[in-house]
Amino acid sequence: MENRNNKRPLRIALTKGRLEKDTVALLEKIGYDCTAVHEKGRRLILPVGDDMEVVLAKAADVITYVENGVCDLGVVGKDTIMEQNGKFFELLDLRFGRCRFALAGKKGDNFYEGSHIRTIATKYPNIARAFFEKKNMDVDIVKIEGSVELAPLLGLSHAIVDIVETGTTLKENGLEVFEFICPISARLIANTVSLKLRREEIEKLLGEIERELEK
Amino acid sequence: MNRYDLITPEGTRDLLFEECAAVKSVERRLLGIFSMRGFSEVVTPGLEFYDVFDLKSRYFPPETMYKLVDNKARLMVVRPDSTMPIARMTATRLAAQELPIRLCYSQSVYRNRPSMRGRRDEIRQTGIEIIGSADRRADLEMLSEALEALDSFKTGSSRLELGHIGFFKALLSRLDCDADTKEEIRSLIEFKNFPALGDLLDSIDDPADAAALRQLPRLFGGEEVFEKARLLTGADNAEAENALAELEDIYAQAKALGYSGEITVDLGLVNRMDYYTGIVVKGYIEDVGDAVLSGGRYDRLLSEFGLDMPATGFAVNTDSVARAEMKYADYSVKPVDVIVYGDSAHIPEALTHIKALTAQGLRAESALFGDLGDVREYARSKGIKRIDTVTDTVVTENI
Repeated sequence: MENRNNKRPLRIALTKGRLEKDTVALLEKIGYDCTAVHEKGRRLILPVGDDMEVVLAKAADVITYVENGVCDLGVVGKDTIMEQNGKFFELLDLRFGRCRFALAGKKGDNFYEGSHIRTIATKYPNIARAFFEKKNMDVDIVKIEGSVELAPLLGLSHAIVDIVETGTTLKENGLEVFEFICPISARLIANTVSLKLRREEIEKLLGEIERELEK
Repeated sequence: MNRYDLITPEGTRDLLFEECAAVKSVERRLLGIFSMRGFSEVVTPGLEFYDVFDLKSRYFPPETMYKLVDNKARLMVVRPDSTMPIARMTATRLAAQELPIRLCYSQSVYRNRPSMRGRRDEIRQTGIEIIGSADRRADLEMLSEALEALDSFKTGSSRLELGHIGFFKALLSRLDCDADTKEEIRSLIEFKNFPALGDLLDSIDDPADAAALRQLPRLFGGEEVFEKARLLTGADNAEAENALAELEDIYAQAKALGYSGEITVDLGLVNRMDYYTGIVVKGYIEDVGDAVLSGGRYDRLLSEFGLDMPATGFAVNTDSVARAEMKYADYSVKPVDVIVYGDSAHIPEALTHIKALTAQGLRAESALFGDLGDVREYARSKGIKRIDTVTDTVVTENI
């Protein structure tokens, strides 16, 4: 049995990799001791400051952990939020991890010409489907796990829906952006119950982050 | 070929021993409370026609319902909710009843959810509906039952949260934008999506009401919420002011109901805008990542079934409560107090002896072995402390 008064530390799930580094940098700027994260080794749950802990997870899992309430907060890209959806509060745009979703294909192709059904390769089938549903277009979607750019080059698809940061990969492979879909950045999300039951702790952190972002 | 004869469908589960005991304990406790307060239990069919859930005021996305077709090719669903069938039943079979009608229920609902997300498709709910009263007394009674339910849970601290859908509707109705945009605003407020709500409202040319809506997701907490909300609404928005005054009154009176937890207010509780018409409520307990109690006033639902009648109610997700209770309360299976063994000439006598024992309040089981040695071994492995051997006499042996 757990002790009723012994609350666990506020738990924040971070998307491993770049968002993790950016978040840790942000937490350090507002005065949280993140030594344990720098010296994490292979550990996945790490203390931050005195009363918080960081959980390192894959992007989609951040949402799952927060949605189910085993983590109170999470930092995850808008791309994952759009692809996966779910029930949580989206509190803050952290303004890092910025990039864009785009429809892209072979340079010079006119994607919208003709009445044939297009095949779209993507790592984000839900986003691709929603995008074309808005345009009332029926498309075939093929889910690709790795470098999506290959699909149009190999003739598997007419275009791709993917994240574009600088556009270098597209350019080097003879592809170009046909249309930007939406901007993306890292978001701070919260479990719906945690925000209510641990309001003071969360609002304190939220305030500190907001002030730092305003600087 | 894959056969699925040894597993249960995703999102469903067998309830064994402790889990079953915990769920049933929560259900019985709640039904006990409701019954003592004048509610009559009802059961509605597990299958209903699709049309019962195809309503203007409550939208169930078709893909979230388990559907099947009956032998006349009519579309049926496995009930995704209990309030709609109860409204159907009330409007048709209880239309002539004296009002108010107090009904309670304890049954599962089924939702086809995205798989592998740790969520359940089969959800056990126990709840109440108070039908036929628009009086504030009915809202307070509903709250007092919700608070008694929360207080009955053997878990960590609980909290009740109150909102009023009328406040949001009053702000929204003055905004000059189409229905889709309004729905988007509602959804962004429900999920406290500050960044996107800000962007969307920036694009709307109505500074005052947009500013109020922008603050809505932040308007949660205690008493101070009312003051903040008043500052945001224009003095001319009587509808918003009325909703706020009603909520403030109910909040003040709810605090006098003797609840052990905290009661808070969230004006951003805007789920099911077309369904709810007044006070809305959510209950939370520690260790559970979603509301365990949810309800509110729904004055328009019954009219969709041809009987225009106000109503209010709530449902408790008993599975979640039971899971949380298992951390605090002991639901483990206890061995019986006595095992009774009769030799082959005294089997009826042994069974009669069991009746005598249970009449004294002892839990007793019959030994199904032909040999006393086997009975002793079984009793030891099960942790049963007493063996009664029935022959012409009864011999008690403590082990």
